[in-house]
Amino acid sequence: MRRMQSIFRHSASREMPGLNLASMPDLIFTVLFFFMIVTHMRHDDVRVRYQVPAGTEVQKLQQRTAVINVYVSASQIQVNSQPTDINHLASLIEAERKKLSEENAERLTVSLKADKHTPMGVIADVKEALQRSFALRINYSGTSAADND
Amino acid sequence: MFRRRRFEQIPELNTSSTADISFMLLIFFLVTSSMDTDKGLLRQLPPPPQEQQPPQDVRKDHVLQVTLDAHDQLSVDGTLLIQGNHISPFSSLTSQLTKFIAADRKDHVISIQTDHATTYEAYFRMQNAIVAAYNQLRESYARERYGKSYGDLVPEQRDEVNQYYPQRISESKPTKEGGAE
Repeated sequence: MRRMQSIFRHSASREMPGLNLASMPDLIFTVLFFFMIVTHMRHDDVRVRYQVPAGTEVQKLQQRTAVINVYVSASQIQVNSQPTDINHLASLIEAERKKLSEENAERLTVSLKADKHTPMGVIADVKEALQRSFALRINYSGTSAADND
Repeated sequence: MFRRRRFEQIPELNTSSTADISFMLLIFFLVTSSMDTDKGLLRQLPPPPQEQQPPQDVRKDHVLQVTLDAHDQLSVDGTLLIQGNHISPFSSLTSQLTKFIAADRKDHVISIQTDHATTYEAYFRMQNAIVAAYNQLRESYARERYGKSYGDLVPEQRDEVNQYYPQRISESKPTKEGGAE
């Protein structure tokens, strides 16, 4: 009985131990590095309002460093972060290609992010401009959809 | 005097704010970076047409004419594909194409004709249907030939399968008959 009392008294006087937070920065750093690896910097300031169509056969685009983004909607065109129009598209593609390294320029892919409701007349003009600037690998950007459409 | 100093403990650095600093870094990266992966249909455009390029003769029976009109209606060789029971015209296009390509895999030509007013979405879904047809054929050939899925083949085998079922697509300029402008 006396022993019990002594135990209780002891625990009453004891303080709650503080949680050791020494490893918390390490944990957060791990999460930070994870995000730094799986994400990439967003560098385009997109002024074109677009919503890409959905398809079942879409594939992931490889080699992001060799990609030029072309945003197209019914009234606007933008190459990477530069708004432009159809007449200057070809020259702008050339300029963007010059910025890339040599091997990247060779396997250049143009990712065409066009709005669903863009008429084909506009798209055809864009494709013709791409042909003229010899950017022949194009990626019709889209989201993946389930089969039942 | 010296002895006393030896027993003194070195004060520890207070590191409780390191967590806050790394949290701030983490939030900065979350805000400035994006995780969206770019997905899409990878296609190859033909080089720009030369001035003195003689038009190639293609026999009519090798050609499958796929047309999208101004109202996004799909027709194959002049017959309109209509929305069936739970089957979209695009999936019936895929099945028609698979049959057509398999019957004439070296010389077939898929000719695409759109209109100025056709929406990009319809065009995209048509391209998607065409890619689906080729993918189905290549997949079945890869299984037959190598006993593996197309995705698991090494690049050389994949090239061989691609050459067995070459993509022969011809695209002409959009027509203006829909009265787009």
